[in-house]
Order: sequence, then C-alpha cells, then structure tokens
Amino acid sequence: MIQLESVLKSLTENEVEFVIVGGVAITAHGSAYLTQDLDFCYSRSKDNLKKVVSALALFKPRPRNFPEDLPYIFDERTLQNGTNFAFDTEIGDVDLLGEVAGVGTYDAVDEESEIKNLFGYDVKVLSIEGLIKAKRAAGRTKDLLVLPELEALREISIDEEDKNL
Amino acid sequence: MKRTPEEKLLNPKPGSKVAAAQEFGIDLSLLVKNLRLTPDQRVRNLQSAMVGLEELIRASKQTRKKGDDTT
Repeated sequence: MIQLESVLKSLTENEVEFVIVGGVAITAHGSAYLTQDLDFCYSRSKDNLKKVVSALALFKPRPRNFPEDLPYIFDERTLQNGTNFAFDTEIGDVDLLGEVAGVGTYDAVDEESEIKNLFGYDVKVLSIEGLIKAKRAAGRTKDLLVLPELEALREISIDEEDKNL
Repeated sequence: MKRTPEEKLLNPKPGSKVAAAQEFGIDLSLLVKNLRLTPDQRVRNLQSAMVGLEELIRASKQTRKKGDDTT
C-alpha cells in the first residue's frame, strides 16, 4: 500500500516536475475507484531526473518483482536507461511514466493537467479528459471498466449533457 | 434552467453519459457523495480504504494460516 502523503511531500519538496495519473488522479476527480499505487508522469529533463532520484531514493525503490538477492542501483543513469518504471518502495508501489499512452510525454501530460491540493501540497493531476484518453489507449479490461464513470464525470463537469442528447 | 452536477447524477437524463454509467453498474450515489468532498478529502479517504484493505488481506491470510495449522 502506498503512503501517498510521504511520496507527495518528497516529490514536492524536491521540486520534481510531475503529474499524477492513474487511480489516484481518478479518485481526486470524484470516482469511487480503488487503487493501491501511485502513478505519475515525470519530465525526463536531466535536471528533473536528478530531482526524481533525490525525492525517491530514501524510499529505496527496486523494480517490482526484482530478485531480492540481486543488487539494484537507483540513480539518474538508471532512469536515463528506461522510460517507464514500476517500483516497489519501502512506502508502497510507485509507477514512473515518461510517457502516457494516448496523451504523450510529460509536456503533453502537463498541458492536460490541473492543480489540486492534496495533503496540503499543490500538485498537478491529469484532467478527466486526459484520463479518458489514457484509459482508452491502454485498452486493458481494467482500464475500460473505469471509462463509463469518467465519461459521466466529464459530462457533469463540462455541461456536456445537453450536447449528447 | 441549467442543472447542477449533483442534480444530473441524481436524475440522469435518458441517453446521457450519466445514464449510461448507471446502466453499466456505476453507483451514482457514491459519485454524489464523493463530489461533495474536496479532492484532498477524496484522496485521504482512498488512503484510509487502502489501509482497511491491507488489514483485511492480512487478517484473511492469518485466518487461513491458523486453519492450515489446526488441520
């Protein structure tokens, strides 16, 4: 189980450029969806990779299901060598996405984000519209199951109801 | 007259996305409840639900282990 406040505190204090996507974003918009991890899209600029490492290293991230007896180094080079990562950490599961399917890399995700105050921190959260694009593109059953709820939330939030009738 | 988001959820118009979500099986009363909260409150509730779920899983594992030990 992810300790959301601790991660958001560290990401914010280290001035990481990130946008919350996935289940926590869906919940922030009002869905009753239940998730167990934190997914965020991050800028892959050199400076930001350094900040991501500073923010998360203290939680000792290791790739999910990575053999326990093998050493793993979490540093800027590790992040440079990949784009999307699924980490186990001491405070829960964190997924880092350099790119979100259906939306794009950090700049595109940032464009589709909105600021929300969570645990006292102003953080960027992917919009309902962005989440719909991401879930459609991901296309797995678990993603498609959340679409009707997201579409309903979009309809009531942007007054689209009459347009659809 | 424009309806509020809550009114749209409580009385979905036929053919709307809200009606489609209801037909799909989404509990609209939960959405109404959540929309009355701030995003911060919603995410804090999610965190509490995660804690509850983890405790449930732990208890279930312990019960199963006890059962295995006694058989």
